[in-house]
Amino acid sequence: MRLLIHDRSEEFSQTMKGKFDQVIYADGKYAPCQGCFHCWTKSPAACEMKDALQEICRVIGQADDLTIITENWYGGYSPAVKNLLDRSIGTSTPMSTYRGREMHHTLRYGKHHQWRVVVYGDTTDGEKKTWALTAKKNAINDGFQQSEVSFVTDLNELEANAL
Amino acid sequence: MKTVLIDCSPKKKLSASGFIAGFTSLFVMGEKKKEKLRTKADWSRVLDAVADADNVVFSMPLYVDGVPSHILPFLKEMELRRRENSPDMNVYVIANNGFIEGKQNEPLMQTMEHFCERSGIRWGGGLGIGGGVMMNVMRIMLLVYLALAVFRFVAAGILGSWQAGPWIVFGKQTAAILLLCCGIIAFDIWLACRINQRKEYGKHYTRIMLPSFVFILCADLFFIILSVIQGGIFRGWFSRKKPTRMTN
Ligand SMILES: Cc1cc2nc3c(=O)[nH]c(=O)nc-3n(C[C@H](O)[C@H](O)[C@H](O)COP(=O)(O)O)c2cc1C
Repeated sequence: MRLLIHDRSEEFSQTMKGKFDQVIYADGKYAPCQGCFHCWTKSPAACEMKDALQEICRVIGQADDLTIITENWYGGYSPAVKNLLDRSIGTSTPMSTYRGREMHHTLRYGKHHQWRVVVYGDTTDGEKKTWALTAKKNAINDGFQQSEVSFVTDLNELEANAL
Repeated sequence: MKTVLIDCSPKKKLSASGFIAGFTSLFVMGEKKKEKLRTKADWSRVLDAVADADNVVFSMPLYVDGVPSHILPFLKEMELRRRENSPDMNVYVIANNGFIEGKQNEPLMQTMEHFCERSGIRWGGGLGIGGGVMMNVMRIMLLVYLALAVFRFVAAGILGSWQAGPWIVFGKQTAAILLLCCGIIAFDIWLACRINQRKEYGKHYTRIMLPSFVFILCADLFFIILSVIQGGIFRGWFSRKKPTRMTN
């Protein structure tokens, strides 16, 4: 399954539908993670908070290829996208293992293929380096075999870059 | 000199970030203020507190290899305000994470560095603590050990002989805990010294002093017990659940 997560607009979602199996617009209209771990220990793979992100880990879990379009915030994801990612740790289980020679959680949905990030907005060279590291770390953490980051300065190029 | 220490964990109580912020403040001189940054309702209070601070210490958990989402809009607001008036300020970061390797906090540290660059704030450096969750377990264990020692001491006394035995046991237990936390304690006191001198600390990573396979066993046991108590283990603990409704 090819999944697109972006923070642009409802209209952008419409443009991208058909080009991906599922498109999610991170509109930021939801609560941030409360750090309770209930999505592991109480109601596995479901968040306590019953908003649009309650089952987001189940959607990401199905993705072979994940593409994220996000504005640059200090070399990391925009708050809306990061909120969505923070709420999705149910993609793994509470049990731990080694991956990439470091401790990580075992994967509820097994291995995935590619974690791609398309970053837009003013991005410094230092932030670009942080992006490469973050995407690589995210891929390892979530069991994706490869990661890729690209930077877009002209918003009209977003669509072409995401495909 | 005014130092503001901000607990950035979304947890209402018992956060590891709050604990380590409190511990750090013990060694910081001058005026100190501890703040909690959970929701937007906290913003104006915290922004007021940092407005005239010489040092700001962000203590936060690592969430998905980065800064927790609820902190990002606050940083942007702070950046905007800083651009209007920019007194001399140092920012330090203490990050703690669930996995044993403190080094996994590196992307978070870089993000906070970029925040400083964009805001014209001096980056003072950061300390990344692996296995931060254990700090909570340890402080609870220390209290339990203390209660047990008092109980055994009093019980033996009532029965006729006041003994030092329970305190010797408590001393050994405390020493073991201090040993496991020696890296954290040393690096944290060093950080506090640099804050006091208003000097750069650099980036340092430490951890709970356990081999990773022992830490993994402890973490697994912790989550198994929690999942039995909270019932998740009986509700498809590992199952590949499918979405039951559409997201977007
Ligand atoms: C949504 C979420 C994401 C997390 N992501 C990571 C991670 O990527 N790496 C890691 O080592 N720990 C991760 N953790 C574990 C926390 O960093 C750890 O539990 C920390 O000690 C919590 O600190 P606190 O008590 O101050 O909130 C995550 C926890 C949560 C709730």
